Amino acid sequence: MATYVIRRIIWTIPVILLVILLIFSLMKQIGGNPFRQTERAVPQAIQENLERKFNLDQPWYLQYVHYVKDVFTYDLGPSMRLRNRTVNDIVADHFPVSLKLAILAVAWGLVIGLPAGIMSALRPNSIFDYVGQFLSNVGFALPNFFVATLLIYYLAVKNDFVPTNGWPTEFWDFNDKRIILPSFALGLFFMAFVARLVRGTMLETMQQDYVRTAKAKGLRWRRVVMRHVLRNSLIPVVTAVGPLIGLVITGTFVIEFIFSIPGIGRYFVTAVGARDFSVVMGITVLAALVVILANLVVDILYGFLDPRTREARS
Amino acid sequence: MRRNPWLLLVAALLAVLALGVAGCGGDDDGDAEPAQTGEGEPAAEQVITIGWGAEPPSLDPGLATDTTSANVIANIMDPLVVLDENLEPQPHLAESWEVSEDGATVTYTLRQDGQWTNGDPVTAADFEYAWKRTLSPELAADYAYQLYGIKGAQEYNACENNCDRLADQVGVTAVDDYTLEVQLTSSQPWFVGQSAHHSFIAVHQGTVEEFGEQWTEPGNIVTNGPFQLEAWEHEASIDLVKWDEWRNADEVDLTRVNGRIIVDGTTRVQAFEAGELDVLDGGSLPPAEMPRLKELEEYEQYEYLGTYYYGFNVENVDLEQRRAMSLAVDRQTIIDNIAQADQLPGAGMTPPGIPGYDVINPESPWTPATGDIEQAQALMDQAASPKTDINLFHNNAPGHREIAVAVQDMWSELGINTTIRAQEWAQYLEFLGPPPSDQVDVYRLGWIYDYADAINGLELWTCDSGNNNTNFCNEEFDGLVEEARQTPDEDARFELYAQAEQVMFGEDGELPIMPIYHYTLTNLEDLCIKDTFNIGALNSMDLTAVTVEGECS
Repeated sequence: MATYVIRRIIWTIPVILLVILLIFSLMKQIGGNPFRQTERAVPQAIQENLERKFNLDQPWYLQYVHYVKDVFTYDLGPSMRLRNRTVNDIVADHFPVSLKLAILAVAWGLVIGLPAGIMSALRPNSIFDYVGQFLSNVGFALPNFFVATLLIYYLAVKNDFVPTNGWPTEFWDFNDKRIILPSFALGLFFMAFVARLVRGTMLETMQQDYVRTAKAKGLRWRRVVMRHVLRNSLIPVVTAVGPLIGLVITGTFVIEFIFSIPGIGRYFVTAVGARDFSVVMGITVLAALVVILANLVVDILYGFLDPRTREARS
Repeated sequence: MRRNPWLLLVAALLAVLALGVAGCGGDDDGDAEPAQTGEGEPAAEQVITIGWGAEPPSLDPGLATDTTSANVIANIMDPLVVLDENLEPQPHLAESWEVSEDGATVTYTLRQDGQWTNGDPVTAADFEYAWKRTLSPELAADYAYQLYGIKGAQEYNACENNCDRLADQVGVTAVDDYTLEVQLTSSQPWFVGQSAHHSFIAVHQGTVEEFGEQWTEPGNIVTNGPFQLEAWEHEASIDLVKWDEWRNADEVDLTRVNGRIIVDGTTRVQAFEAGELDVLDGGSLPPAEMPRLKELEEYEQYEYLGTYYYGFNVENVDLEQRRAMSLAVDRQTIIDNIAQADQLPGAGMTPPGIPGYDVINPESPWTPATGDIEQAQALMDQAASPKTDINLFHNNAPGHREIAVAVQDMWSELGINTTIRAQEWAQYLEFLGPPPSDQVDVYRLGWIYDYADAINGLELWTCDSGNNNTNFCNEEFDGLVEEARQTPDEDARFELYAQAEQVMFGEDGELPIMPIYHYTLTNLEDLCIKDTFNIGALNSMDLTAVTVEGECS
């Protein structure tokens, strides 16, 4: 197992190099001037000063080498648009916010979606199953920004249950009403997704021979479900949820805009529009790392859930 | 087969628990209730919360380029001059100024009671340092060109090595602690007014050198204005408190200005309506909600120096057709139904509110407010080489498409088949050049004035201007603009501006662009501060004038 993990970690290095190269060449292709944000033309001399300052006057391969060095020494450089901030600052200040939002959304998915899916599977075609299925369809179909706007209107503007927007400053502050709506709106998709996935896999698992065998040998139904059905049905859930966490960076930006949450998704989207190369690069590399890490964790979890994978690796 | 309802129970419990945990969050409602007072009386608690539409990209006067930054900076710093409601410069930190006979030297006399928050006095040397810093090639300031009117400024800014010698030649000198002498490249009658711009604000040398790029963070920053930066949570909040040591602190009522940064327009309005904000920053309100918001008592509207226009690629569309296309557009309909903020139909480049507008206004026969479709059709028939397939480009920000569709419809009456093409902003700017891509027949852009003089908009249309995307190039026009630059006398200068407008929009005008409307600023302001809160025509906000009266909702 340890060798496996180490090998996987070493493999991230070429992946990151490739990601940098890819983003680097894409950003070169996309065109646009990072130093012209408004309709105002930038005088030649100022353009040249800025290019010198941000090393854009060098040939592309030197820029690339420069950049790779920066990433591996964790010095992601200054932002080209937010002139008093570095990408390191931006990541340090805003990544935890998006991470917390995403974790809370996934938590909604597990806390609501998982039991709902299990109950649907245990009572297929019951009224409960139909309601659950209906709600999860709705959860899939409604875009989260729409739900978010409705929630704000009814719970914050019309009634005073929660503030319309904002986010606690402290990462560990969970005792703040402002976290409820955004995480719920973002979590809606996860809830629907998990509920449907669990229902489907559980129904399938319950058809398996080993479940019939367990029942036939007189095991109590509760034990059959807990030990055989549930455990086997959770494997696809873990597979799906892991990489979904990788969406934390890019997937949260709409919710971050609507609820005015200072997360990193907003920076990412704004930076692409502004051609703020250093910010785009820094956040993309970060996103790649998050996805790689999430997949690694999932693979390790597999080992616990499914002995066959554990054996295959050793 | 027996199914145990046990699982169901656990699941239900989990769900209830989750809702419960999430729901029992602490009450963090920190807004103190303002003391009860009668109408029109200053409230005991002089605290407001403002909703900023963006994170200020930089609070460094030398590096800031946007309105939010400019408005925060203007309230924590002490500009030399400020503009009054007629956009005339008024003494501020500079108690007076003198302009030489030839107009090319301006000497400011500073007040002696200006001081920095660390106790240092504000001196002329601070200005010399700040301006030269902004011009230095190492800082690479985007807005260094705001200072290009100063002698030697452009040369220093364009320097690549051994620049110290050029720095010494820049025409800004601290003659003594309180006398600042500025030598200009020519007479620039607008210079004193222009020095109200944030690029001309002093910075504290010791602080800048000590903290480098981090000097604007709370805790590091040293300021010299009516408010101090208390806290700044990036992308979330920016809180200002009154600085009691400011030279004129007695006249400042507000003790605290909490700022919330809310980028999304709808969220900003919702936060205002939920009572979380007392005022917005004049950033645009969501178009879809305009009809409702305009009816609110809290709605406020201001003049804004800027012009929203459609530019022609004059190489693709000939003069008769340009006139016909401009005549066919019913600007008032666009304003009433799409823009919806009582913008003024654009007659020429220069917006009303600019000094001398009455003289400058071209009263163009080609840009009537409600259009003239018959004359347009007649002109279209005369066009030597009519182009019936027109490509109209716009950037994909909100609102532009709706206007483009309306214009497309209006032009269809001339037999023109318009294809509307939207582009992402950065690519759009590159596409427009100058020179513009061949594909461009018509494009949309806007211009917001940096200072209150018509030259700031007219000089865009000279042959070698980086903002002239039309291929229009007229020697007479360039000559008039150049002559205006050398003319200190206001009346004579306004006359030159008027002639320049005629070259563009007059009877024989070339019509390189067709103005659609002149901007307005719209805002929501709680009735407790609506009377005292104002936004100037250059989108400037003076918080020292604000007083909370009665109770804020």
